[in-house]
Amino acid sequence: MSGKVKEQEAIPVSKVQRAAKFISTGAKVGGNYVKHYAKKMVNPSMNKEELHQNNATDIYNSLSELKGSALKVAQMMSMDKNLLPRAYQDKFTMAQYSAPPLSFPLVVKTFQKYFGKTPESLFDTFTRSAVNAASIGQVHQATKNGKTFAVKIQYPGVADSVSSDLKLVRPFALRLLNMNERELDHYMEEVEERLIEETDYHLEVERSREISQACAHIPNLKFPSYYDEFSSERIITMDWIAGKHIKEWMETNPSQKLKNQVGQALWDFYHHQVHNLKQVHADPHPGNFIVQEDGTLGIIDFGCVKVIPEDFYQGYFALIKKELVVNEVELNQIFYGLDFISDKDTEEEKIYFKGVFKEMISLLGKPFHVDRFDFADDRYFEQIFQLGDRISNDRMFKKSRQARGSRHGLYINRTYFGLYNLLNQLQAEVDTTKPEWLK
Amino acid sequence: METTPVKKTTKKDYRKLILEGYVSHVLEHGAEPTSVFKFAKDLKMKEEEFYSHFTSFESIKSAIWVSIFDTTLEQIETQEVFKEYSVREKFLSFLFTWIEELKKNRSYLLSLYQDKSKSFKSLPSDTKEFKEKFKDFASEIILEGKETQEIASRPLISDRYDEALWLQVAFVFRYWLDDRSPRFEKTDAAIEKSVNLAFDLMGKSALDSFLDFAKFLYQNK
Repeated sequence: MSGKVKEQEAIPVSKVQRAAKFISTGAKVGGNYVKHYAKKMVNPSMNKEELHQNNATDIYNSLSELKGSALKVAQMMSMDKNLLPRAYQDKFTMAQYSAPPLSFPLVVKTFQKYFGKTPESLFDTFTRSAVNAASIGQVHQATKNGKTFAVKIQYPGVADSVSSDLKLVRPFALRLLNMNERELDHYMEEVEERLIEETDYHLEVERSREISQACAHIPNLKFPSYYDEFSSERIITMDWIAGKHIKEWMETNPSQKLKNQVGQALWDFYHHQVHNLKQVHADPHPGNFIVQEDGTLGIIDFGCVKVIPEDFYQGYFALIKKELVVNEVELNQIFYGLDFISDKDTEEEKIYFKGVFKEMISLLGKPFHVDRFDFADDRYFEQIFQLGDRISNDRMFKKSRQARGSRHGLYINRTYFGLYNLLNQLQAEVDTTKPEWLK
Repeated sequence: METTPVKKTTKKDYRKLILEGYVSHVLEHGAEPTSVFKFAKDLKMKEEEFYSHFTSFESIKSAIWVSIFDTTLEQIETQEVFKEYSVREKFLSFLFTWIEELKKNRSYLLSLYQDKSKSFKSLPSDTKEFKEKFKDFASEIILEGKETQEIASRPLISDRYDEALWLQVAFVFRYWLDDRSPRFEKTDAAIEKSVNLAFDLMGKSALDSFLDFAKFLYQNK
């Protein structure tokens, strides 16, 4: 059989093919640059925005085809809005909503594997196509005995491919995030850990239950129940929460009062997790929240939970104290504690980075410095973007070979950027509560 | 009249006995029996009896492949949704079910075909009959796909599509033999991705439009 030789080659080839996918994207991105400079020769006024647009499209296309963890990284990058040029952001935000679906035969097969039954015989109805894409799986809608369920099914093989996918994304992350290699590796480890956790559906159900119970007292929040009898390593079944994603909900022109109510619920949810539970739903991207008609907020995905170590917590949140910015000695101590600066830095670097971090902190801590903050204020976000742009383009910053900031900060920063962005999308004004020791 | 069905069942039983005996021999000894004589003796039957069902060990192996294929077809036909599937989904469903059937015989298949240099010779001859039957099944799917426009008819190439699907089956088998992932999840992913690629290639694509356009330019030069 002539296929024999080909087959044997085909196994390693699949990995090569994935790599090739990225190389072809790289070629396209390179092409975009060529096009950009060619156009610029003709029309000098052209700005980089268009170039970024082209690059974002090509990179996104290749990432979404790879699915799984690569898609996840795309999402992460779209979260860190302040790090990415605008055009990348818009394209990547799309990754949060759509990914190519799993075929139905594979869904059936997954069900048979874990329950020995087809989805149709397990439920009264079961949608043939996915109603929603989750980052490492997809969601189908099912009904049984008059109840509606959301059934999340994980792509097969995702758990195993996390590490190799991350290696593939690495060169792109380097370019896109403008980080040096050491800095990136420092964070990649943390990302890998979270991603591997995220593929563990048993853990997810456990955590979902734990956090939703601990947050049950917060008004205007809604958590789905989870069903063990229909859940397994690769399948999670929970209540279907009817409602709209934040973006769609905003299109219905809700009143300011409702917007504030949803925003406040969101803030309280995070406040309680961070300061009381010390573990946080670290995936605040819009796809994980659903606003119901009466203005309660449904929280549907606990895949990514970051446990906050106590010493990190103390240092990190001490930074949001308003008067701290003045107190040089205490500030230095915290900067060392959080790995923002270290003894490896030159004197010049120390001064520069202290300045940068001080500026960042006073800006990002702003909502905490007042009792009530209006997140609808676009100027505030404009300031953040500008600062991010300025810093990442600064020669001093690029030059530094040092990894900056504790790895725990990665997901906490992401959580707060995400939270701020969501609140901005909601145009909400909220009471920015703080724990006692920070008042 | 009454005796014929009885005869048939005893005949069938012998056939089954030989098949099962052969599989368990391979499982226990890690190799084929040394001779038909020895094998028949172990099963407490005469060598002639053996030959009235099978002519050689090769024909037994062939029959096992065919029976796996037949069970697969039976399996998928019991699924109600199968009829509603697009041809792409039908083929996916076939492969997923087939792999499940193979799983039941994994040890047997591993001991016969894991060694690549040896199976390089034996696999093609063992699967000859299976291949014929599979190609019938594939042709049906391809025909249906052409009707539903899921598969584009292309001169010369589209006659070889059944051959292409067969290569895919062979690829999946090889991949599965070497798969070390828990629950053979990698094989599932490999099936999904390779079938999608195959059907994307067979479907109408930019290439067809390009060829059409090129032909037009050439003819109207």
